[in-house]
Amino acid sequence: MAMSGIKDVISDFIDKNKPQKKPKLEKLSRMEKRERYKKRMECLTPEEQAYLRRKQFVEAMWPIFRGLIVFGLCFIIIYPLLYMITAAFRTRADMNDPTIMWIPRHFTTSNIKDVVKAMEFGKTLGNTLKLNIVCSVLQVLTCAVTGYGFARYNFKGKNILFFIVIMMIIVPPQIILIPLYMFFRYFNPLGIYYMIKGDYYSLIDKAAAMYLPALTANGLRAGLFIYLFRQSFRGLPKELEDAAALDGCSPLTTFARVMIPNAGSTFLTVFLLSVVWYWNDYYVSTSFFMNYKTLALTLKNLSANIKVLLFGDANAQVNTREIIVWMEAACLISITPILVLYILLQKNFTEGIARSGLTGM
Amino acid sequence: MKKLYMSYERKKGLYGYGFIALWFVGALMFFIIPLLQSFYYSFHDVAPEVGAPAIKDLIDNSTGKVNIFLNYKNAFMTDPNFRQYLVASLKDMALDLPVIVVFSLFVAIVINQNFRGRTFARAVFFLPVIIATGPVYAIITGDLETSGNNEAAQFSTMFEADMVDQLLEFVGIYGFSATFTDMLTEITSDILNLVWKCGIQIIIFLSALQGIPTSAREAAGIEGATSWEFFWKITLPYISPMILVNIVYTIIDAFTDPTNQVMERLLSVQTEWKYGLSAAMAWSYFGIILVVLGIIFAIINKLVWYDD
Repeated sequence: MAMSGIKDVISDFIDKNKPQKKPKLEKLSRMEKRERYKKRMECLTPEEQAYLRRKQFVEAMWPIFRGLIVFGLCFIIIYPLLYMITAAFRTRADMNDPTIMWIPRHFTTSNIKDVVKAMEFGKTLGNTLKLNIVCSVLQVLTCAVTGYGFARYNFKGKNILFFIVIMMIIVPPQIILIPLYMFFRYFNPLGIYYMIKGDYYSLIDKAAAMYLPALTANGLRAGLFIYLFRQSFRGLPKELEDAAALDGCSPLTTFARVMIPNAGSTFLTVFLLSVVWYWNDYYVSTSFFMNYKTLALTLKNLSANIKVLLFGDANAQVNTREIIVWMEAACLISITPILVLYILLQKNFTEGIARSGLTGM
Repeated sequence: MKKLYMSYERKKGLYGYGFIALWFVGALMFFIIPLLQSFYYSFHDVAPEVGAPAIKDLIDNSTGKVNIFLNYKNAFMTDPNFRQYLVASLKDMALDLPVIVVFSLFVAIVINQNFRGRTFARAVFFLPVIIATGPVYAIITGDLETSGNNEAAQFSTMFEADMVDQLLEFVGIYGFSATFTDMLTEITSDILNLVWKCGIQIIIFLSALQGIPTSAREAAGIEGATSWEFFWKITLPYISPMILVNIVYTIIDAFTDPTNQVMERLLSVQTEWKYGLSAAMAWSYFGIILVVLGIIFAIINKLVWYDD
């Protein structure tokens, strides 16, 4: 008996809450619609009418305007890249032909081949990739730990220490480059090495000159990354931490098993930005690397010595316009790896930064 | 016995030191000590030598006395380009700053709306961040210029100074101001550079725009706000802290940019092994920027509306 009673109640409930069918709108002809609109407008005051008209006008025009703007600006950004591609695949003679703007008349891949040989592309790419990935991974991990310390713990002198982080963002690397160079050139940790060998150890031209700062959260733009991590860890609720502590997690376990999974997007963002900045850096690495080649360094020096590399002669008779073909080819092969990475991860990249807690000032 | 147990909070504090210890050691080695060293260098005559640079007192040749500010004096008085570059880069910054901030805000608002191809547009607008920080950007703009395909002729013919002048004349203003039109020309003919500098700023604004609460949006909609009113009364106050952030970021980005004239001059002084002089230049440049940053921060911070 009781069962059927409940069933009744349930079926009643379902009947009552069934999604009601919308009454079908009668189809109106255009004339009728206009009539109705007029009638509606008549009920309104002149100000309201003006407001509605203006709104309608803006709503109709804005998408067109917006489309034009977005298209134009996108074109401006993509334009040099398009030019890069078409210039890289044309012969040098095509550069002197004023009728050729976009589509090369003589398609060739020889520029790419020349530049690959001149830049020792395989070796340089290997160097760059190794340096990049090691530094970025180290930097992300150490900056995350540091940012976590600043975000979730209170200790004496925290404000002063965080001020140092801010200074790391503001002070340009150029100021500290010379002392840093001396530090790496005559590397002598705590005076021990000099005591044993009677000489200094040079870290110049060794990848360690980049690894060491990254290992201690002081790599390229580390200040910004620490700041980003701090913002994102600060936004997580305190209860998470307390619950983990009650369950017997040590602070390090809490960090590894509770906090890191909750800051995934920040990790990805910082990692990608770090990869990009290490990839593009030539200012810092130019003072530490003389013979250790990275892509950005080679590319930076390419315009000065491209003639030597291609023709074995600095005074080779080549038009400056014709050199462009090889320069653009060099640019193309240098940015392709990072461009591919960007295209694969672009959604995470843009959304990640938006969600990385930058706004939680 | 009681003293052996620390309170939970104090214990936590110690763990805090543990978390930042690695960074602190690194900062000491790679940041603080080099910073102090370079400050010290700037007041001395520094010559490279094995082990550590040889540091001597600065002696003014004209008086034969020790003058610790000689490097600074040389940087501003004797160096042929430094002062000129300094003024030029500050002027550039003053011109670019408002344009970059307004432009990136505009773009962020546009690509925050819903339309077809939004994902693509966002990807494209962020593309400069990937490329512009490297040497590629300098090469491609240089090449475009050499081959006569540079941006000024291609894109901004419409906004060229003639057009501006004609517009002003049409409205009835003759010979308005030569410097004003010059300024406009400088900005508009550089639209490619402008778009390429805005990547990070656009993203920062985009995330700020997404942080505007839906309740404010709905309330404004019910009250019948037009999108124009919505922008001034809702959007702008909510994102004003991020405007400040963007201004600071733009300034720092502009003056730490290695393609900046002052930075190039610094590098060339360094390669001549004049460590003392280059340190003095770097520190005076940094000092000037810090003052600029401080003034702008103090002014803008008063206008910012914080949602607390």
